[in-house]
Amino acid sequence: MASTIVAFRLCGRDVEVMVGPLTTLQSVLRNQLGSTSVKDGCRQGGCGSCTVLVDGEPMMSCLLPVQDVAGREVTTVEGLTPTEGLHPIQRAFLEANGFQCGYCTPGMEMLAKALLDHNPSPSRDEIVEALSGNVCRCTGYHPIIGAIEAAAVAGREAGR
Amino acid sequence: MTVANYFLPGSLPEALGLLESNGPELLVMAGGTIAMPLINDGISLPRQVMGLRRADLDRIEWADGELRIGATATLTSLVAQDSVPMLREAARRSASWSIRNMGTVGGNLFAPPPGGDVATALLALDARITLASPRGTRELPLSEFWTGFMTTSLAADELVTSIVVPGGPGETTFIKFGRKNANTPAIVTVAVHLVRHAGHVARARIALGAAGPHPMRAARAEAAIVGTELDEAAIAGATEAAATDCESFEDAVASEWYRRRMVGLFVKRALSDLARPATGRGE
Repeated sequence: MASTIVAFRLCGRDVEVMVGPLTTLQSVLRNQLGSTSVKDGCRQGGCGSCTVLVDGEPMMSCLLPVQDVAGREVTTVEGLTPTEGLHPIQRAFLEANGFQCGYCTPGMEMLAKALLDHNPSPSRDEIVEALSGNVCRCTGYHPIIGAIEAAAVAGREAGR
Repeated sequence: MTVANYFLPGSLPEALGLLESNGPELLVMAGGTIAMPLINDGISLPRQVMGLRRADLDRIEWADGELRIGATATLTSLVAQDSVPMLREAARRSASWSIRNMGTVGGNLFAPPPGGDVATALLALDARITLASPRGTRELPLSEFWTGFMTTSLAADELVTSIVVPGGPGETTFIKFGRKNANTPAIVTVAVHLVRHAGHVARARIALGAAGPHPMRAARAEAAIVGTELDEAAIAGATEAAATDCESFEDAVASEWYRRRMVGLFVKRALSDLARPATGRGE
């Protein structure tokens, strides 16, 4: 079983990993690079807890062979968090009680990041549609939607 | 993981060469949204896998009055194009954003029911597919592509390289009915393309998804409306024919009986939408 070296950018730094054939990005992030914010939920692309951004676009890292992201920029919630304090999206989730157990939160926040980057003023319906692939079993979603609405307002006020 | 090799060809010739040298044991995927869940769960245990994400087959271009969609163009890129509204709608209603960023138009042709919303729209649009092999390329009407549940007329050494959607006149409507509004498996998907002359239906294509082993045309329903003014009686005839002829099945979201009822109901709704005076409808 031949291993391959794959190089890509993770949250702004260059990383290189040695992997077996068809190893997923999710597995590499969790087991080789320590990004445990990326959850190992369903491995079916059905729960969204492994959502990361690849060149700014949300993808399910459990369905993505890491070799496919060679040379590309991968962002997890570790990359969203500034050195000091919290990102406005994280602060909004905290203030709006946008999580209970927290398992879905990293995926939700990365989805929110991508949504607000594409559309700084999403309607509630647009937020709901965007979140449709990310499952939360605690909150009933309303606090999460509220957090993203608040983050959008905060982002616009900060001039982003 | 039992996979011995994962190939990531950078071009079509390279991909065809790998397919030829590895034979039918090679599992081919593009976005991975169908194959990877099965591999992750150990349901599929391929030894050799080829990914097409870097094979340079993802362009979407309008040329000679036709829309040519590269097989690995993502569903998101289909949402972004605006020349064929029904395809935009079918892609928009497929899966979730992250999955649309990965799943491809070519891959959608291989999605087992209740998947294949985009494939259903393509069937109503009378799309053709381009198949390439070391022997050359050929074009096939999409209607001749599926041969049964998860079986196609693709030869062992062939790859789908593009999907061609003809332009020309016509009105379309697309309805996907599921249990939720977004990211939902279809109970039934109905895609209709009509050409009318002087108020009469000159040509009709009614495609059904999640209503049989693969997307299929409702031939008797089409015949029921051709030549009519799409009046209530004609629509009732088409509704009855579609519900009777579909190959309804039971799954986690709908019983065989309920799905058949919904096939009739949503064919009726789709045709009724088209029967109303046209006001800003697509195409």
